[in-house]
Amino acid sequence: MIYLDNGATTFPKPPNVIRAVNQALTEYGANPGRGGHKMSIKAAEVVYNCRKNAALLFGIDNPENVIITKNCTESLNIVIKGLLKKNDHVVISSLEHNAVLRPLEAMRKRGVDYTIAQAVPYDDEQTINNFRSAINERTKLVICTQASNVFGVRMPIERIAAMCKIHGVLFCADGAQGAGVINLDLKNTDIDFYCTAGHKGLYGPMGTGLLIINSDVHPESLIEGGTGTDSANKTQPLTLPDRYESGTLNLPGVAGLCEGISFVRSKTPERIEAYEMKLARHLYMGLKKLKKVNLYTKIPDSSYSVPVISFNIDGMDCETAADILGRKYGIAVRSGLHCAPLAHNSFGTEQGTIRVVVSAFTNQKQIQSFLWAVKNMTQNKP
Amino acid sequence: MEENILVIGPITSAMKSRDILKKNGINSTLMRTPQGIGFKSCGYSLYIPENIQQAQSILGRSGITVMGKASVKHR
Repeated sequence: MIYLDNGATTFPKPPNVIRAVNQALTEYGANPGRGGHKMSIKAAEVVYNCRKNAALLFGIDNPENVIITKNCTESLNIVIKGLLKKNDHVVISSLEHNAVLRPLEAMRKRGVDYTIAQAVPYDDEQTINNFRSAINERTKLVICTQASNVFGVRMPIERIAAMCKIHGVLFCADGAQGAGVINLDLKNTDIDFYCTAGHKGLYGPMGTGLLIINSDVHPESLIEGGTGTDSANKTQPLTLPDRYESGTLNLPGVAGLCEGISFVRSKTPERIEAYEMKLARHLYMGLKKLKKVNLYTKIPDSSYSVPVISFNIDGMDCETAADILGRKYGIAVRSGLHCAPLAHNSFGTEQGTIRVVVSAFTNQKQIQSFLWAVKNMTQNKP
Repeated sequence: MEENILVIGPITSAMKSRDILKKNGINSTLMRTPQGIGFKSCGYSLYIPENIQQAQSILGRSGITVMGKASVKHR
């Protein structure tokens, strides 16, 4: 199968990731941070190395501020539900994923409300102005995606964060589609919380995510329990990362994530992005030539997007198109709303789109095969 | 007997402390905090056979909370 659904999760994973998961399961699979024996210490070292690796990739000094979660959604939930109280107000962009929208809808019942600031693709000034206008005296938090998971549009998160700092508002970035392809040096930004998946652009296994805390303000924990330390104390420790990591960690996943981050660091996000962008631009231009194909963005470009492309074919709904691509041509793409109805409202694609996302392992031949398949579909060829 | 372990607590802090000390030329060994030394629950310590006073100062300057010092007979 030609896999172009890398926005959902990257596939394949680098060989060092597979090896690390295997080693964790077969060589030292003890509980990290729970024992004093060699296997437990080795497991804890791997977890610690993962934190250090993430701290280096995202430019923070303290590895303990790297919180390991099970996915980006969990990270966002910790920020949203751990920070917000009754009468707090939040501003989000019009491109947010349901990982932001649904927790905020749930928080309405607890007296939290939110405003959607219109993201204006390719006009950062207007986007920032819209965020500024949406902030009021009750605004505690602004949440913005680093890049749309549907259309690839990048958001000026560093500038929005700087504006939030001036207004005394906390800022959280959803880096699910940006991590691994956008270079980010958090300590030189005003981003307070950076949430991301471990299994997308960081090439780790599914079931891994990160919350990076770049602030003195720490959310309440959402779950409490065993942390392996301070066990006589009935209350949850406040130290990082233990405060947010009750229960046994996903050691094989974290071992793989550590190696996934090493893969990204060795190639560098810039080089990965340059490679993927070249493929994405080729793909976009190929689609652009096809008469019945509708595209919704400008050609992908490093200055304003990540390599994510959405399209539709005239006379064919996106689910049918993805089904034909999968069954007839052996090509995996994502169809539907991509858990981001807000983004579709913004782009007028409420019916959904076909999304194509390349990875560091995609090649030109696969892109050619994909374009050939779509061309056949637009010409109703069997 | 002279004190030779620093009680840290969380394993992440203990590992970070070990790395900081190593950068400063002080070797240490990670270990579970032993019972019977006045710290009543689970956690991790660093066994530091030499320069423990200096080690504690370095960690203090690095923002690491050291819960206390103790002595153990051997490692």
